Amino acid sequence: MTRPTVDDFPSEADPDGDILIRADRVTKHFPVYGTGIVRRAAAQVQAVDGVSLTIRRGQTVGLVGETGCGKSTLARCIAGLIPVTSGKVCFEGRDITNLSRRKMQPYRREIQMIFQDPYGSLNPRRRVGAIIGDPYAVHKTATGSQRKKSVQELMERVGLNPEHYNRFPAEFSGGQRQRIGVARALALRPKLIICDEPVSALDVSIQAQVLNLLADLQADFGLSYLFIAHDLEVVRHVSETVTVMYLGRVAETGQGDQVYGHPRHPYTAALLSAAPAADPDAAADRQRLILTGDVPSPINPPSGCRFHPRCPKAQDLCTTAEPALESKAGDPSAHRTACHFPVEAGENLAREARRDSS
Amino acid sequence: MSITDVTFVAQAVESAPEEAIEGRGQWALTWRRLRSDRVAMASIGVIVFVMLAAIFAPLVAALLHHGEYQSFTNAGTNAFGQPVGPGVHGFPIGTDFLGRDLLVRVMYGARISLEVGIFTTLAAAILGTSIGLIAGYFGGWVDNILARFIDAALAFPLIVLSLALAAVFHPNLAIVLGVITFFSWAGISRVVRGQTLSLKEKEYIEAARSLGAGPWRIMFIDILPNVLGPVLVLSTLFIPTAVSFEATLSYLGIGVPPPAPSWGNILSEAQQHISSWWYVVFPAAALLITTLAFNLLGDGFRDAMDPRTERLLAGSKAGRRKGRRMALAADAATSEAS
Repeated sequence: MTRPTVDDFPSEADPDGDILIRADRVTKHFPVYGTGIVRRAAAQVQAVDGVSLTIRRGQTVGLVGETGCGKSTLARCIAGLIPVTSGKVCFEGRDITNLSRRKMQPYRREIQMIFQDPYGSLNPRRRVGAIIGDPYAVHKTATGSQRKKSVQELMERVGLNPEHYNRFPAEFSGGQRQRIGVARALALRPKLIICDEPVSALDVSIQAQVLNLLADLQADFGLSYLFIAHDLEVVRHVSETVTVMYLGRVAETGQGDQVYGHPRHPYTAALLSAAPAADPDAAADRQRLILTGDVPSPINPPSGCRFHPRCPKAQDLCTTAEPALESKAGDPSAHRTACHFPVEAGENLAREARRDSS
Repeated sequence: MSITDVTFVAQAVESAPEEAIEGRGQWALTWRRLRSDRVAMASIGVIVFVMLAAIFAPLVAALLHHGEYQSFTNAGTNAFGQPVGPGVHGFPIGTDFLGRDLLVRVMYGARISLEVGIFTTLAAAILGTSIGLIAGYFGGWVDNILARFIDAALAFPLIVLSLALAAVFHPNLAIVLGVITFFSWAGISRVVRGQTLSLKEKEYIEAARSLGAGPWRIMFIDILPNVLGPVLVLSTLFIPTAVSFEATLSYLGIGVPPPAPSWGNILSEAQQHISSWWYVVFPAAALLITTLAFNLLGDGFRDAMDPRTERLLAGSKAGRRKGRRMALAADAATSEAS
């Protein structure tokens, strides 16, 4: 995996055409309808609110955050599966925001998705060969025996027995099914694969196989990944750039080692402290930062910084002013944090949290 | 420890030899379950019998030298001009009031009944499935308009419409087919629409959309195979309804017009000659057996489609008997070996 060193979004130029996807202040609000006779939006679920994201060629961008923070919605906006409310998505510098299905078609070949649920993402009534051959059928790139040959090559490439061409998805295990999903996403040789929690539904040993497969394919085909997960260790393992989302906004973004090594946003720090450690001795030494309360409703998100009701460091400023996503003192320019009072090195947030609550 | 270190264990498991299991699709499984359902298999037998009767009606007519419309005023009626009973003068199940061979007419009647049953059901299934898919998949105003059509079709008084049409045009088979189709697609539509509403939220539909598949491809390639099961059950159960509808309309004189033989109009004529029991019993029995067989087959399909009724291994008498037979065979084998 290549490691780009500069990332000075959002004002950057792109001289070498290195940027594959640029999402610019993407906002997605889902209307909530009232019970009245006239159907009109009573409220808006602010699923994604002004999120910017850059994916470079050959890069893996990790997107983490808890359930409901808008990760998947952002991914679907980028993939063009749902229209965005505002903002812009560019693919190789061309605006692909809210294109019609027909105009989106050439870009669909470049952007593919792998889905979370290996059971739900494969049509139970269709044979595996037909499922993997679907991209060829839709884009009319291969027919008949040629399609079958391509499909069997793909099956072999992702570690499936090509002779199982005529089986149904129900005859495969979870890991094998996820390989089918990978093969389908790979069929058109896309440039970007959006992995929406591709390993969350698998057990750990199978997760490792699928992750290794994804890494191999990236090396072979020069793929870029947008890798969504809520398992921080998985994201650390696969991606060089990590973006942490909270309630539809970006909390922190930067190189993986920066974000994991020196989290500046209190939410990132809390997430990291909550991740289970593989080494029980290290786990015992760790100080857990336990957040109080629930994630507020995205229909009516908190004012100012959206994290302030649960933040151990929150002050009055946080309730009124929305913090800009910017590089904090001492951080590389690519490491940007949306916080008025970023966490300093060596600071013990757990103690602060305890002091606050007492 | 990085999580990819555990790979080798799992790969060893996955590279273990695959058990040679034959891939079984939904239909293969359904057929297997159906085969162990004796009632359904008997129904299939009856249906095949009725179909053969319909197919070979001209052959039987030729063998008996009794045409479909041929009146035998001397041999076919008695001294009082009444129909003759079964076996008299070479009429296997007797004659009708014009001295025509009842067997030949009932067999020709099977043609009309099956034609009506199968054609209207096919038309209704195709129309109903398409409309249900479109309404469910597109939703919004398309769904609103189509759903009103479905409600209207379900609420319409069938007999009244048939009477009106028969009054305007002369009663004929085309009207019967049209009317029955018009009233039957809606029920299938409603079920398909409901299924489509839930299926279109599945992740594999989103996967298809992310590949760039258009709405028609998604409806007919991704959703359709998933709704075919219920459609098949509904359609099979609809055939007897259509058959008896046709009989009803013909009985009322607004269906298939005489002299063409339909079970309905044969029964209508027979009621004037109620003392000739064969005249009523045979066409009525044909109607009853046919509708019953289709109904039972539909029930069998429904049970066989539903994975919750696991009839393959447990529950059914046939399954238990088979199990016992196999156990006995195994016992015999072991005692022989010892």
